[in-house]
Amino acid sequence: MTLPPQLEAKFMELVNRYPTKRSALVPMLLYAQDAMGHISDEMIAEIARRLDLNTLQVTETLVYYSMLRRKPAGKYHVQVCTNVSCMLRGGYRIYDRVQRKLEIGNKQTTADGMFSLEEVECIGACTGAPALQVNYDFYENLTPVAVDDLIESLDAGHKPAAAACTSGALHPRHPAEVPVISRRFGIPNSRTLEVYLQHDGYKALAKALNQMTPEQVIEEVKKSNLRGRGGAGFPAGVKWSFVPKDTTKPKYILCNADESEPGTCKDRPLMELDPHQLIEGTVIAGRAVGAHQGYIYIRGEYRYVLEIMDAAIAEAYAGGYLGRDIRGSGFDFELCTHTGAGAYECGEESALMESLEGKRGYPRIRPPFPAVVGLYGCPTVINNVETLSSVPAVILNGGEWYANLGSPKNGGTRLFCISGHVSRPGIYELPMGFNLRRMIEEVAGGVPKGKKLKAVIPGGSSCPLLNAEEVDLPMDFDSLAKAGSMLGSGGTVVINEDTCMVDLARRIMHFYAHESCGWCIPCREGTAWLRKMLDRFHDGGGREEDIALIGELSKNMLGRTFCPLGDAAALPTISIVKKWRHEFEEHLKGRCPYRPAEVMAAAL
Amino acid sequence: MTEQKQVTLKINDRTVAVQPGTLVIEAARRLGIEVPSFCYYPGLSLQAACRMCLVDVEKAPKLQTACTLVALEGMVVRTETEQVKQARKAMLEFLLTNHPLDCPVCDKGGECELQDMVFRYGADESRFVEEKKHQPEEKWSELVYYDAPRCILCFRCVRVCDEGMDVKALGVGQRGAYSVIIPNREDHLECEECGMCIDICPVGALTSGTYRYKTRPWEMKYVGTICAHCSNGCKATLSVRNNEILRANNRDLSGINKEFLCAKGRFGFDFTQHPERLKQPLVRRNGKLEPVSWEDALAEAAKRLKQVHEEHGPKAIGFIGSNRTTNEENYLLARFARANLGTNNVDHHRSADYAGLIAALGEKAAAGALATMQQLGEAKAILLVGNNPTEQNPLVAWQIRTAIRHHGARLYVINVNAIKLRRQAKQFVQVGEGAEPAALRWLAVGQADLDTGVLTELAALKEALEKESDVVIVFGAEVSGAGTRDLVAFGAHLGGQTRFMALGDYSNSRGAADMGLLPDRLPGYLSIEDPAARESFGKLWGAPLPEKPGLDARQMLDAALASKLKALYVAGANPVKSFGITAADRLGGLELLVVHEMFLTETAKRADIVFPAACAYEKDGTVTNTAGEVQLLRKAAEVMGVRSDFDILRILSHQLAKMGLGRAISLRTPEAALEEIRRNVSGYDVSQANLLLGSAEATSPHSPANGRAGYVVPAGAIFSSLDTLFTSGSLGRYCRMLNSVPEARAKP
Repeated sequence: MTLPPQLEAKFMELVNRYPTKRSALVPMLLYAQDAMGHISDEMIAEIARRLDLNTLQVTETLVYYSMLRRKPAGKYHVQVCTNVSCMLRGGYRIYDRVQRKLEIGNKQTTADGMFSLEEVECIGACTGAPALQVNYDFYENLTPVAVDDLIESLDAGHKPAAAACTSGALHPRHPAEVPVISRRFGIPNSRTLEVYLQHDGYKALAKALNQMTPEQVIEEVKKSNLRGRGGAGFPAGVKWSFVPKDTTKPKYILCNADESEPGTCKDRPLMELDPHQLIEGTVIAGRAVGAHQGYIYIRGEYRYVLEIMDAAIAEAYAGGYLGRDIRGSGFDFELCTHTGAGAYECGEESALMESLEGKRGYPRIRPPFPAVVGLYGCPTVINNVETLSSVPAVILNGGEWYANLGSPKNGGTRLFCISGHVSRPGIYELPMGFNLRRMIEEVAGGVPKGKKLKAVIPGGSSCPLLNAEEVDLPMDFDSLAKAGSMLGSGGTVVINEDTCMVDLARRIMHFYAHESCGWCIPCREGTAWLRKMLDRFHDGGGREEDIALIGELSKNMLGRTFCPLGDAAALPTISIVKKWRHEFEEHLKGRCPYRPAEVMAAAL
Repeated sequence: MTEQKQVTLKINDRTVAVQPGTLVIEAARRLGIEVPSFCYYPGLSLQAACRMCLVDVEKAPKLQTACTLVALEGMVVRTETEQVKQARKAMLEFLLTNHPLDCPVCDKGGECELQDMVFRYGADESRFVEEKKHQPEEKWSELVYYDAPRCILCFRCVRVCDEGMDVKALGVGQRGAYSVIIPNREDHLECEECGMCIDICPVGALTSGTYRYKTRPWEMKYVGTICAHCSNGCKATLSVRNNEILRANNRDLSGINKEFLCAKGRFGFDFTQHPERLKQPLVRRNGKLEPVSWEDALAEAAKRLKQVHEEHGPKAIGFIGSNRTTNEENYLLARFARANLGTNNVDHHRSADYAGLIAALGEKAAAGALATMQQLGEAKAILLVGNNPTEQNPLVAWQIRTAIRHHGARLYVINVNAIKLRRQAKQFVQVGEGAEPAALRWLAVGQADLDTGVLTELAALKEALEKESDVVIVFGAEVSGAGTRDLVAFGAHLGGQTRFMALGDYSNSRGAADMGLLPDRLPGYLSIEDPAARESFGKLWGAPLPEKPGLDARQMLDAALASKLKALYVAGANPVKSFGITAADRLGGLELLVVHEMFLTETAKRADIVFPAACAYEKDGTVTNTAGEVQLLRKAAEVMGVRSDFDILRILSHQLAKMGLGRAISLRTPEAALEEIRRNVSGYDVSQANLLLGSAEATSPHSPANGRAGYVVPAGAIFSSLDTLFTSGSLGRYCRMLNSVPEARAKP
């Protein structure tokens, strides 16, 4: 099969990028789709041939990823997010508007082939909700009128400028903020090496390479109480110390940039506004554990972010901050990006490794843990973007300094993405342990239009919800755990009194059912069952016994699934049934007493 | 293996000590405690996907999957707590949400693991009121059907196809609740059609084209016997209703093949019911074969054999035996030819140099130098010369893959073709057409006419093998005579116990050689020229035996064409086809051609008398697989009108005895014949009790020091029919299901 020259070049580069050819599979499929509009049978055979796979191996990987398609879509593929943060700010109104404007439904294409439409899960624009993507371009803070204009412009052959950067990342600093990892946000050209170097860039790396032993680096990170920012909150320094020192196998640093927890959009600005900070953190991690190769796994939807990272990596290579003998230290470190193609499950660390190896994103049996048997069966450190981005500050200013910024055992600061029903949705860097009520009321400007606060998702939709009485608490891992919830990924979603909690539970379950990988029975069948049941319940078909059953089925998943996705589906559901049971009871009368999306859209 | 210190753990307050590394689910089984599971399957990779095996482990924060949990010293496990029971019940409830409850019409009903689990551990009512997923059934091939809603996604089929078969024809499509199993060609399968996926499926998601919707499992009787096709001797359980075989599988996972069966073993039984099956004896009258009674046919055969014997002497009569008839029948034929008709013109289509191997091994043959199937499956290193086991000897291929998968075996391959097993070989040396013997010569003595590229590769292979120990050497028909001797010589200087396995074509190829269907060998490979051997069998059979070796099969056919041979007696073989006889009509100047057959084959068509014979599934007896393991055949079904070769020969011997030709065979049953074989045939003194229990008994014939160091193989006497997974000599064409798959038409 003859390929367009650019695609041919991309394929050649990808096939040689990884230790195993198969790793190139998902990126090849996505780039092939970008070039050809879809993935044909012929393309499957071609990719199989190039990677020494059989076509079934290509096909089964392809069909796993929601961005990949076998049939052509429109020239403009409009992807409207209706997940919680968008939904609360009128995402469904936007979706309906696009449907009416284009006169097509979900996953349909207009007759002229110009437009296709898809309702998608969280695209990481929560502080710019409601949002959509046209192909890879983000359009945020939408209104129905703005959507009409967008479509008309596209139809007229003019593409309006996409969001320059994540909405909510740049804003006047709130006095309570402690800018550490976001300190370069807002500086012109902050993503360039030149500007980065002007603002302490790569100083920490020089220190780690020239003045510290690997053990000292790990020790410093341990001292900082830096805990995993992906959501689990595992101490980063401790994780690093698990990597065996006396192994002949290569070791890897994996950066998890598969940000897809609904309500979370902090890794996106960290990469688009300060990519060198992440590179620096990654190289330091490599130095600490003796790894010489790193990968940044970026979710497929973040294509422009990936391109920014690629440009920064190229600059870092040119500047001697990556590659052989970094800055004359004798230390080698190679780094490249890797694109996902639409799968929340691939944010789970072992599923991410499977995905990076070119397979379906199924999680792996643990133990063994990645630190011992990870990517390609080798010792691997896998950390979130925010975690690795925090490392330079820890090394430069010392672990103790960093630890003291936060609360006990919860070092440093955190990028909180505050979305939903607040006056100033945005991404704010606050010390660990910052009071949640103050965060909502002072930092984000409180619930607009004088509405009362009803609920808060503290750290992404996997967390049990807090009600209005529970929000007076410090935002750190331990305090949230004590309150029966989780700090999670820092995606704080604020929900006002008009919101239907049954509808919210329904939408959350739709997400997990869509993203369940299907590996284990309780998650696969449980989320699908609950989705159907919550749909029926919210539509007025509920039975009294369903209320207890929803909670019970969730508990039947909890702690029994293969990976934490089942827990993530169960926990918010259990909390909603428990705390807002009366709303379920109200639905038994036949009709939902709340109309959240439209009420909010009118109020905006 | 070095003994490791065992770990002791407690399961349900009972103590058990196991090897380190043992999974808790296996430790529990050791105690007779069942921990339910769907996805766990011994020998396949671990999944922990079905979550049925969740158990309570003291000090663990939540329930653990017993199928992935490694037993540790002091571990305390409980498998029957309220929490565990509730979890199982919940899993089954989840599973049943989308599983159609069509058990009354499901093929698997009555032998379904999900049914059993729900019965034992499930809830008695369903709380699922939503709409179930619907999806039409898919036909993936004539042999394999997939019903997605019934599928519980345990991934056993995917794993057995990939890990067990190295075929990789099954994968997973979509994700989440929409996950399904998908075949490798969009909507159909292109594979080895082994049907392992069907057998391993715990529910009725994968069903068999030969069996579906035919019956209920409890309406059938189950007969464990040996597959009628290749030489590997897989145990097959035939499911039989009203004398009709409806299914073959290996449901109790016993025998040398455990769960394995190939397409032939699993689907190739319908020849028994083929409409062209002969059910009445035929006698040529006025140039045409006409049906006659058994009495008439037998009388005519005896009369005419006697006639030829009288007119032309015993040397004008030849016997070609079968690769598929039982040991007892082959033994009878050897006796019938030599003692009743006084000729050594006895042979069969030889497809492996068994006689040469045993002669070359000498005393070592009886001392463990012949590899059993199990030893092959547990080998540490394997040298494969010639043959394509994937097609010709599927169990051998499975055992080789098993050794690699479970025992880390290194496989070395010397072959003319890039056979599939090379994919798993540590080293593959491709030699030119017919160059295997030269390669072996080089390995044995360091001299051979081979090109330098091959020599370099052979040198590397030799060096690697010399570092191995306990190598199992497996070879095909490409190696015989001097090649066999070279191979044995090379094997002799490798470390540890080198073992050998010669690969023949059919279910009793080995037994035919063992029972003396050779012009120069008596049963047990005793030389016909050895007076003591002649004496002893002559005494046993009641007649003096001819001294000189007779004609081999090809010589007999040539003699027939040259009108030197006057009568040819063919018991269950099709030499016209296998030896490529092109002469039209009759075989030259033959006055009499007698054939035992199931079908009117190329040979039977030219016969004067045709006896309709019973097949392996219709009789008792024993067969010996290519590794020399004897196993019991059990009669599964009966076809009206046919008789076993055993009975035909026995009756004929009585008639000939009356005419003064030899002594009547007094052995009335195969059991009686086996008893005589056990007492008189070298290597066959195996345990009858073990045979009856269904085990494979290794025979260890040794070549007695009777004056012949080597065994001379006439050129061209040993050759393979090169059957594929979908052919089976003259039998394959009557297996309709095998022929229905497109793969059967494509030559590998």
